[in-house]
Amino acid sequence: MLEASNVSAFYGDIQALWNISLAIHGGEIVTFIGSNGAGKSTIMKTIAGLVKPKGGNIVFEGIRLDRLPAHKIVELGISMVPEGRRLFPEMTVLENLEVGASTRAASRLRYSNVNWIHELFPILKERSKQVAGTLSGGEQQMLAIGRALMAQPKLLLIDEMSLGLSPIVVERILQVIQEVNRTKKLTIALVEQDVGIALSVADRGYIIEHGRIVVEGDTKLLQGDGRLMEAYLGVDLKGKAE
Amino acid sequence: MEMFTQTIAYGILVGAMYGLITLGLGLLMGVMKFLNVAHGTFIVLGGYVSYWLFTRYGLNPYLSIPLVIVVMFLIGLVVYKVTLSPLLKLPSVGNRLNSSMLITFGIIYVMDNLMTIFWKPDVRSIVAPFTGRSLEFLGTKLSITGLCGFAVAIVVAVALYFVLGRTQFGKHVRAATQDAEAASLCGINVHRTYLISSGIAIALAGVAGVIIVSSYSISPNSGLRWLLVAFVVMILAGEGNIHAIVPAGLVLGLLEAVGVFIVGAPYRQVVALVIFIVILIFKPQGLFRKRRLTYG
Repeated sequence: MLEASNVSAFYGDIQALWNISLAIHGGEIVTFIGSNGAGKSTIMKTIAGLVKPKGGNIVFEGIRLDRLPAHKIVELGISMVPEGRRLFPEMTVLENLEVGASTRAASRLRYSNVNWIHELFPILKERSKQVAGTLSGGEQQMLAIGRALMAQPKLLLIDEMSLGLSPIVVERILQVIQEVNRTKKLTIALVEQDVGIALSVADRGYIIEHGRIVVEGDTKLLQGDGRLMEAYLGVDLKGKAE
Repeated sequence: MEMFTQTIAYGILVGAMYGLITLGLGLLMGVMKFLNVAHGTFIVLGGYVSYWLFTRYGLNPYLSIPLVIVVMFLIGLVVYKVTLSPLLKLPSVGNRLNSSMLITFGIIYVMDNLMTIFWKPDVRSIVAPFTGRSLEFLGTKLSITGLCGFAVAIVVAVALYFVLGRTQFGKHVRAATQDAEAASLCGINVHRTYLISSGIAIALAGVAGVIIVSSYSISPNSGLRWLLVAFVVMILAGEGNIHAIVPAGLVLGLLEAVGVFIVGAPYRQVVALVIFIVILIFKPQGLFRKRRLTYG
C-alpha cells in the first residue's frame, strides 16, 4: 500500500532520518517504536507531507508522495492524528469534525460520517456544541481521531496516541482503533511511547533508533525476543520486576 | 432636543460607515495576522474605481459595488501573491505581523503615486442627483448618502459574518488561523484559503471606498485618514473580534458625534484619537467580549 525507500529527512542541518525503507501493507496495524527523539514522529510527518524528505521516495498506491503538499496527501487517502492532538481550540467539537472533512470527496459524506464518529465516540455527540479547547485530554484525543477519520482515509497515522491519557481512556480508544481496522479495513500506523500498548495492538512493528530502522518484524516475534526489547528499548517485557 | 436627536442619528450613520471601513482591516489582521497599513489606500482605490465608473459610464455608485468588488478582489489576489504570501515562510506570527506592516507601508507609496498619475492629485467625489439630499424622519434629517452607507455596511457585515460563521470556506479560514499545519492535515489548502481571504479583505476595502467617495471625497493620499479611523475601531472591537467591528464603529460614531456636539466640529479627529488613546490605556483588549464566529 505504502512503500518508502531510502528516505532521508532533516530538521535544519540535523539529519533526523537516515535511509529509511519501510512498507505498510493494506489492512494491517503497524507500529513504530523507539526511544524519545529516535525519529518515529518524523517518519509520520514525512509520510503526511509536513516534513519534506531530502532523499529517497515514498509511494502510496502508485503515486509519489514526497513532493506533494500535505493537503494533497489527505486527498489521496492518508490522514494523520498529530502529536498533541492539534485541535482547533476555538471551534466547536462539531466544527472540528466538519473541518476534518475538507476534501471534496469527504465533504460529500460529511453528515453520515459525523453520525459514524458519534457512534464510535458517543461523548463527542454530547459535547457537539462545546468548544474543543474545553474538552478533557481523553476527549480531545477522541476528537482528534474522529477528525482524522472524517477525511475518509485509507491509511490513518496516529502520532503519540496514549501520551498523557489515563489507562481507561487509552483502552477505550484502542478498542475503537481496532474496531475500525477490522470493520472498515482501515490501515493504521501507530507511533507509541508505551511499547506494551504498541505491541499489543499492532500486527507488525519497526524499531527505530537514531533515525534508522534497526529491527522490523511481526509483533509476536518482537515480543518474544527479550534481548531485542532490552537492547533497543530498555524494557523487559517477559521477566518483570523480580 | 431636536439638536440632540440629530446628533445621535448622525453618529449612527457615520458609525456604521466606520464599521464598514474596518471590516477588511479586521479580517486580514484577525484572521491572517497581516497588518495591512495600506488598507486606507485600498479604500481610496476602490473609491476611484467607483468614481471612474460614474464619470465615464454614469453608473450609480451603489450599483457599481458589485463591479468594484470584482476588481478589488482581483487586486487583492495579486497583492497577496506578490507581497504577502512570502511572509508565511517566516518562523513566527510576530515576524509576520511586523514584516507585513513594513511591506504594506511600501505599498502605500507605490499606490499613492500610481493613483496620482492616473487620477491627478485633485480631490474627487461623486456628485449624483441624490447627493446632499436628505429624508426627514420624526423631525430628524438623514442624508440619503448616509442612509445608503448605513444599509451597505449592515448588508456587507452580515454577509461577512455568514461566510465566516456558517460556510465550509469560513470554517477553513478559521481552522487555518488557529493552526495552519493542522488545517493542512485536514486537507485544507491553506495558501488558497489565505489567498481568497485576502481578496475578500481588499474587496471589503473597495466597498468602503464607494461609500466614502459618494458621501465624502477622496484624493490619492487621503487613505491615512481612513486608516486611522479603522485602527481606532479595530482596537475598540478587540483584535480578532470580527463580530464586534460594526458595533464598535457605532460606538465610535456616537462618541465622536457627542464629542463634536460638546467641543465643536474642528476637534472631530482629536475626539477620535483621544478615545483611541484612552482605550489603549484602560482596555487594550477592546470593549467587547470576545465571541467565537460560530453558531454551534
